[in-house]
Amino acid sequence: MSDGKMQHLDEMTVLLYLEGQLDRARATEVSEHTQSCASCRTLLRALERESRLLTRAMLEEDEPLPGRLASFQEAARRSMQWVWMVTFGLAATGVYALYTSYIEPVQSRLQDAGFGGTNLLGLLIFQGAFWKGWQSMISLVEILALLTVGTFAALVLRRRLRRGTMLAAMLVGMCGAFLLPAGSSATEFRKGQDVSVTSGETIKGDVFLNGDRMSVDGTVDGDVFAFGRSLDLSGHVLGDVIVFAKDVRITGQIDGNVRTFDNNLTLTGTIGRSLTIFCDEMKIEKTGKVGRSITSFTNEFSLDGHVGQDILAMNQRLDLRGQVDGGIQLKAERLTIGSAGQVGGAIHYKGVNPPEVSPQAKLASAVNYEHIEKMEHEGGRYYLHRLLWSAAFILYGLVLILLMPNFAGECVKSAENVGASLGVGLLTIISAPIAAVIACVTFVGLPLGILTFLVWLVTLFTAQIVFGGLIGRWILGPTEDKWGRVARMALGMAIVGVIVPLIHFVHALDMIVRCAVMLWGFGAIALALYRRLATPSIPIPPPIAA
Amino acid sequence: MNAPGTTQSTEAIARARAGDSEAWGDLYREYAPAIFRFCRRTLPTREDAEDATTDVFIKVKDKLHQYDATRPFTSWLYKVAANHCWDLLRRRKIRQDKETEDLDTLPLEHPDADQLEQLIEQRTSEEVRKALDKLPSRARMALVLRYYSDMSYDEIADALGVRRAFVGVVLLRARHELRQALAGSGALAAGSAG
Repeated sequence: MSDGKMQHLDEMTVLLYLEGQLDRARATEVSEHTQSCASCRTLLRALERESRLLTRAMLEEDEPLPGRLASFQEAARRSMQWVWMVTFGLAATGVYALYTSYIEPVQSRLQDAGFGGTNLLGLLIFQGAFWKGWQSMISLVEILALLTVGTFAALVLRRRLRRGTMLAAMLVGMCGAFLLPAGSSATEFRKGQDVSVTSGETIKGDVFLNGDRMSVDGTVDGDVFAFGRSLDLSGHVLGDVIVFAKDVRITGQIDGNVRTFDNNLTLTGTIGRSLTIFCDEMKIEKTGKVGRSITSFTNEFSLDGHVGQDILAMNQRLDLRGQVDGGIQLKAERLTIGSAGQVGGAIHYKGVNPPEVSPQAKLASAVNYEHIEKMEHEGGRYYLHRLLWSAAFILYGLVLILLMPNFAGECVKSAENVGASLGVGLLTIISAPIAAVIACVTFVGLPLGILTFLVWLVTLFTAQIVFGGLIGRWILGPTEDKWGRVARMALGMAIVGVIVPLIHFVHALDMIVRCAVMLWGFGAIALALYRRLATPSIPIPPPIAA
Repeated sequence: MNAPGTTQSTEAIARARAGDSEAWGDLYREYAPAIFRFCRRTLPTREDAEDATTDVFIKVKDKLHQYDATRPFTSWLYKVAANHCWDLLRRRKIRQDKETEDLDTLPLEHPDADQLEQLIEQRTSEEVRKALDKLPSRARMALVLRYYSDMSYDEIADALGVRRAFVGVVLLRARHELRQALAGSGALAAGSAG
């Protein structure tokens, strides 16, 4: 290498020499070579300068140590986990107390008056549309037991999971426990092209069916879970039936509830308890019976059979030619009640077209009709409306990010902490307006109250943008750049803009998702604001010399 | 690695290990800025660096009894920080770097030293920091471990989970990427035979 025919050193060798990584013999060789070769000497010098430049650039103080790092905050950071848990617990207890002290008494009075169970929240959550044992099983002891198990799990997993993840996992677990029907003795799984519970066969316990064509002709002494293209149920199910399928035909008997997400449902058999349905077209034939109430989110609903209690429905149209013993709460384009129609309770109908009621129909009272201009999600106007809203939000977000780039970043970062954001969101979204009202009526003064309310309102609008920013951050990764943040927010908002119209057909889901987004974003803003106010920056002390 | 106040540190470490919270507070105040800057250099955002700094010190406090007092405290501290940050990046799946087999393909060339010198002379520290931010995680991490934390090749290999023989290659590749980011072209990084 160092002979007369000069062969230059490669960069790797020079770097390793510079960093003292070569063995003695090789290092001597390189040293001798660099003394005689100007080019390699220059390279050595350049690499050395590059190293120094790197060290200098990295050691330089370019930003102050954040105030919140001024002192060790382990206790605060660790105890925060429990703060969020307590927050959640209190919020949940608050909601439960609110329900038991205000909603439930009103509901029972309504039931006494012959019209109950048509409140959407009540039907979906408290009346057990998705959890059959709620009414019979809920008690303080069970809640305490659940909380104890959850807390124990949290303690075990504390070191493995981050705050948000752990809280989210706990909540999901608890929700999952509530959503599942009460346990059965055994569960059977059947999968294939055609799956069936044949006639004469009896299954003791739950059965999961998954296949193209599914049928239940025999008896199931438990629940039926069916996921597939079509389900034909002509047998007897003693528990609940939960179906995700394109076509569902029920000609047999179900003693429990039916919850179904499908395209078409035809009922000629009997459902002992309630029916909750998300579908395109539902027909309850003359022989079809639902023992209790129906909650329906369908396009077309025709009823020739018998419903034991009330109907809550959001449909395009309802054709009633059968018998409803309770009342009807309906939001639809069109309501027709044929000559064979009978309704035992009050009918509240919010609709585009006036009800068409046959004079022969037997109604407990006249239809209480409230005219609405259009179903909100109808046609191109809805999508145009959504598009304009999304664009407006993106524009609003752009202004906010450009005005407060760092705060915007902090908000999105806070939103990554799902548990904390939702907990704080729930707390502040409720408490801020209450505080505003208190401020208005007490000595603090009207202006402060109004200001608080306005800030609350603005934050509520901004919440969606924070959520959009978070989605963008998840997809494109974190950034410090102002325009990078704008791009992420715009991407996130565009995705939200696409997803909302997709899920808006399922009204309840739409509502739940919107609420969650609001809480999430609101909480994130509140958290970021709290951190801002609580921790001013302090100058950075000198670095450790490397 | 020469940390300021090393003697005092040794004493403070011993007291902190014995459970003296005041001594721990002193240690924290002394080293937090350096660890924050380390996290700031390796992680994508300031918020990440803030969280990571706290998490690193929580780990350090928990593991303080494992620290071998015969070795420099800062080395151990940076090792904990490096492991934490690298783990964080790995969990986020933003280690976009190529796998080790690619490292073998790094060309052994002699770049134009004059051009390289010129590039280095023209760049300010701020420009270098901005260029560093643009690097893939592993490249950036390698440079920070070597030129900020002054870690040995063995320590870097351990932190990054690569063979020791590859550390030089990782560093050289990282320098190439940095030059590309600085120059805005690949001319220098590719090198030209002399």
